[in-house]
Amino acid sequence: MFVEFFYKLKDAGVPVTPTAFLTLHKALTNGLISSLSDFYTASRAILVKSERYFDLFDQIFAHYFEGAELPDMEGFELDEIAKALLDQWLTDPQSVADALGVNAADLQNLSPDELIEYFKERLKEQTERHDGGNRWIGTGGTSPVGHSGYHPGGLRVGGESRNQSAIKVANERRYKDYSRMGPLTQSSMGEALKRLRNLVPAGPKDQLNIDESIYQTMKNAGDIQIVFDRGLKDRLKVILAIDNGGYSMDPYVHVVRTLFNYARSQFKELKTYFFHNTIYDTVWEDPARYRKPKPVAEFVRNDPDTRLILVGDASMAPYELMARDGSIYVHERSGKASIEQLRFLAETFPHNAWLNPVPARMWPYTRTINAIAQIFPMYELSIDGLEQAVNQLMAA
Amino acid sequence: MTKQLQEKDQFSGAKRYVLDPELAKIVNISRSLEMPLLLKGEPGTGKTMLAYAIAESLHMPLIVLNVKSNMKLIEGLYQYDTLTRLNDSRFGDSTRDVSRIEDYIKMGKIGQAFTAEERTVLLIDEIDKADTDFQDDMLDVLDQMEFDIIEIDKTIRAHHRPVIIITSNAKKDLSDPFLGRCNFHHIAFPDPKMMRKIIHVHFPEIDSDLMDHAINTFYQLREIDMVEKKPATRELINWIRALSTDPDFKPKQLAKGELPYLGVLFKKSQDYQYAANQVQRKKRF
Repeated sequence: MFVEFFYKLKDAGVPVTPTAFLTLHKALTNGLISSLSDFYTASRAILVKSERYFDLFDQIFAHYFEGAELPDMEGFELDEIAKALLDQWLTDPQSVADALGVNAADLQNLSPDELIEYFKERLKEQTERHDGGNRWIGTGGTSPVGHSGYHPGGLRVGGESRNQSAIKVANERRYKDYSRMGPLTQSSMGEALKRLRNLVPAGPKDQLNIDESIYQTMKNAGDIQIVFDRGLKDRLKVILAIDNGGYSMDPYVHVVRTLFNYARSQFKELKTYFFHNTIYDTVWEDPARYRKPKPVAEFVRNDPDTRLILVGDASMAPYELMARDGSIYVHERSGKASIEQLRFLAETFPHNAWLNPVPARMWPYTRTINAIAQIFPMYELSIDGLEQAVNQLMAA
Repeated sequence: MTKQLQEKDQFSGAKRYVLDPELAKIVNISRSLEMPLLLKGEPGTGKTMLAYAIAESLHMPLIVLNVKSNMKLIEGLYQYDTLTRLNDSRFGDSTRDVSRIEDYIKMGKIGQAFTAEERTVLLIDEIDKADTDFQDDMLDVLDQMEFDIIEIDKTIRAHHRPVIIITSNAKKDLSDPFLGRCNFHHIAFPDPKMMRKIIHVHFPEIDSDLMDHAINTFYQLREIDMVEKKPATRELINWIRALSTDPDFKPKQLAKGELPYLGVLFKKSQDYQYAANQVQRKKRF
């Protein structure tokens, strides 16, 4: 049962396992599930193990079972049943008439075609009244037509259930916010910040702590115990350069700035600059990229230990990166290609990382991403990517 | 193995806990399948409270294992108290038999749940704090419902399979084998309607004016972006408590944008200042 549903989930990218599927069947055979909404709840709890996939699950569930919301009355199935009814009628008119609750004589004068139409009409009525039942017509197990073959609609056909209709629930897509797997969003801010907190220097333990050593030695009954402390290290300086040009970056600029502003207190110094697409001769301190230019060449004055973090989609026309006059702004024509400026920055600040909101699987398709990734280690702008970037920045 | 749950055994909520029918269903399914239930969700959505509510409504004792970051699985299972044994062997003033190691084995929380005379609810709180090895090892124990005490070469088997609730705060996923053995539910933040019920449970005699205004304002405040820790249910309850004890406070003030005790809602100084600024700005319009 529901094998197709299972594979639909799998194809859509929900990580479902056969074991979980078997568990679901155990739940079904245990009689725990008596309506479609029960099935919705149970299958989600059992099959889907992360809220990130809840939204996807909802969509597939709605799609798969909405088709079953109203069974196709004109369809093959009904014809088959009506035909079976007709056969039955031909051999034993009385029992069919009894089952349908009509007078056998009334039906005598109908032609076979009319009879089939009549049966179909009756069947439709029956399904409407007996929704949810497995048997379509008749009582007490003497039904002339057994509705064989499972149809998802058999679970609950149309109508309103006692609770909310499961499909309605699924269609509400309550878990939409959780499904944004890739880039950083507001909701993942706290988690991202935790990753960023690791951006603190840790010196080697090479300073002798005399007081503590004496204390521990005494505690050790005179056996000498030497205690070392970490050497004092100044906090980090961070330069954050954000690509805030173009619509593609809009959703992320604010998130990234807030993120680093929150972490500001742990840095000795945090400087934020802006650029469009890539860096030429200047970056700007104001987001409008107009009032406060800062020549890239001046960066040599900074402490080379400064951590340089660039945020951008690194996607542009190749000439913007490679050509000497690549800048789309006419005043930036120093004769150095942007890629050389980037190399210069990477050499000036050996601790660097590029965060890219474009999902990593899309990177191979953009040439400029590849080119830039060869200069700066590139990470996804996601929680995991941030963690890796922090590791990279802290590596000696 | 599995038993149909009797009608009276069905879990349907407790006194101080407002239960979402969907969650009730999941709890019942997990109980009948005898699988641990993993709960995730924002802080303040009542993950831990659920276990208390289950224990209360099913009249089972609750055993809580608070996971700590450096915890070893063995601490949750049992402890061999060598220090007491050493003390006893020196001074010999206890009733314990020093030569019997068994006397010095103390059960940990999981061990207690296994050896209890009646069925218990075992809450494993904030499992994401521990490392993945801990999680995987623990699930083996929960799967088999038994563990060995190496010191006395004895296997402890569960008398009754406890109802296991596991909570996790992290947005990061737990390991796959772990997830494979649990049922999963994510508790979403309650919507205003649900929130009214929750508030009502905590303050049965609350003035409806105050409740309307407080809940409206609360959800507006939650809309403020760029806040590291958004206020949750717990904060709202405390805030309402604070508001209702203030004799000078009138619910209408909230609608005007005067928000006293904002510090009850926003607990980080940056968040507090940002929120206060936003509120000021709104007031001007």
